[in-house]
Amino acid sequence: MQTLSSLDYAIILAYLIGTLALGLYIGSKIKTGADYFLAGRRLPWWAIGMSLVATDIGAVDIVGTGGAAHQHGLAVANFEWIGCVPAMIIAAFVFIPFFWRSGVTTIPEYMERRFNVAVRSALAVCWIIFMACNLGIMLLASAKMMHVHLGMTVDACIYLTAFLVGVYTISGGLAAVVYTDMIQCVIMIGGCLLVLVLGIIDLGGIEEFQAAIEKQEQVQQQKALAENQETQLAGKQVSHTSLILPADADTPFPWTGIFFGLALILSPAYWIGNQAIVQRSLGARSEFDAKAAYVSGALLKNLIPVVVAVPGLIAFVKFPELTDGDQAFPELISHLLPVGLKGLFLAAFLAALMSSIDSYLNSASTIVTNDFYKRFYRRDASDVSLLKIGRIVTLLLVFWAIGFSFFLMTRSEGIYTIFQTLMAFFQGPAFAILLTGLLWKRATGIAAFIGFIVGVCFSITLFTLNQEAVYTALGIEPLFQISEPFLYFSIWAFVVSFSLIVIISFLTKPEPAEKIEGLVFSLKPDRGQV
Amino acid sequence: MTPLHQIGNFIRELVVPIPLWCVRALFVGTLIAVFIWVLRLPRETTTPENAIHWYQNLKVWACLALAIQILIYSVF
Repeated sequence: MQTLSSLDYAIILAYLIGTLALGLYIGSKIKTGADYFLAGRRLPWWAIGMSLVATDIGAVDIVGTGGAAHQHGLAVANFEWIGCVPAMIIAAFVFIPFFWRSGVTTIPEYMERRFNVAVRSALAVCWIIFMACNLGIMLLASAKMMHVHLGMTVDACIYLTAFLVGVYTISGGLAAVVYTDMIQCVIMIGGCLLVLVLGIIDLGGIEEFQAAIEKQEQVQQQKALAENQETQLAGKQVSHTSLILPADADTPFPWTGIFFGLALILSPAYWIGNQAIVQRSLGARSEFDAKAAYVSGALLKNLIPVVVAVPGLIAFVKFPELTDGDQAFPELISHLLPVGLKGLFLAAFLAALMSSIDSYLNSASTIVTNDFYKRFYRRDASDVSLLKIGRIVTLLLVFWAIGFSFFLMTRSEGIYTIFQTLMAFFQGPAFAILLTGLLWKRATGIAAFIGFIVGVCFSITLFTLNQEAVYTALGIEPLFQISEPFLYFSIWAFVVSFSLIVIISFLTKPEPAEKIEGLVFSLKPDRGQV
Repeated sequence: MTPLHQIGNFIRELVVPIPLWCVRALFVGTLIAVFIWVLRLPRETTTPENAIHWYQNLKVWACLALAIQILIYSVF
């Protein structure tokens, strides 16, 4: 990365000051816990829609997706296309209006109403562990990338990001998060679009770009043949522009994992059950706005791989010798962007970084305040006191995130991988209890609790058995043939959880009809009824 | 070889021979199924109260998002 000019720094500074000012202005309007956690249920669909997209795409994702596209091709775009759009559309018309009408603040809160407090607590604990760990990971990973671009130390980048995000999230809660996300979404897409357009112009146009990809693939296949290292991938003529890859291809994205793991389980689990995502639609000003937010987000999602993954393909043509895919985006920025535009892209990078951290910070605080403090300590807590607690918890989470990111700096890279796989551990079981709870009135609390716990333990067992040290010590072969089988963990964990919930539900006493009235999809509730 | 390995190998042998055109049909077919489901949704679930313009119907935008997906998965 070349040195930034004063114009670049001015653009970055203008963005940061603008974001901070907006967050603090919104913060001055916050008076109660309902304002803080659900923006007073006054959010419009267009702000939520953009916020959904901004939250989903972090700075690590921009670099990681571009890198994966460079290494494995367009198949990584599945995560934004079939891994988002159908689930968002179904969620928009089926699940989100249901949650909005039920008037809950968190997904675990719904779980207690539908099942019992044990299910609520188990799910809340999993979410809080995931979010707290993820905050540290996002902060460190982003700081590591930022320090290269901004010329600051990693420590300084961690403090700077934590301070900026912390100030406006503590001050303005969900409303500040959503409205700053909206600006961040525009800057993020604009910055990435800039890299895409300049990259294609640099290659001579779209047709030349396609021809260059084919040529580069031929060069790589010939090279592999010459070295007598023809891989399964090469043998199956996998193209860098293919979305659907064979089940036995040497890639993290075989079609089996993408279809059964991503499209059918992880994606609906994420868009229907992820507190950080669902929370903003619960703050919508009407049921229609909650639906429209998801539909507009789905429309916008069609564009994301074009601006994030395709630059990775440009890098594949321009820098085929890169062995580390994560260098694809930084290399493109160095070679393509002139003074001033480089600052704009870095502002986009910061926007992506901040939009994910602020959302997880706000949602983690919502879960701690509502599912632990209010549920177990002060059931009669006033709305004003919940606002105070929410802000204190957010501040503590900022300190935790800083401390945890420094702790991670001293550990091996393996720790990152474990935490990044953390979501796959419980997303499958969480989706199983959510699905059965919403759609099947015979599902019981005991069955949901056992199904969830066993499902999580099962996915952790699969992960452990797939570690080289473990399967070597046991003298067995690895369970999965691909290098990062996290999509498969979620499939199997879902299957185990779902099966157990069905079997145990039939063996246990049904929940009383009056308890589940309005909580199962066949009996839709009116707003505030449950 | 644990029972988990045997189950895994059995499923792998089952899915590996499936030709990619069948898989593409599965992806596109799933998207078409969601598209048809959206088209069949009752109007009151996709429009706000007192809606007067066609663009206020979410069905239009949901179908557009899915149509783009169908096109993408048919081509790439």
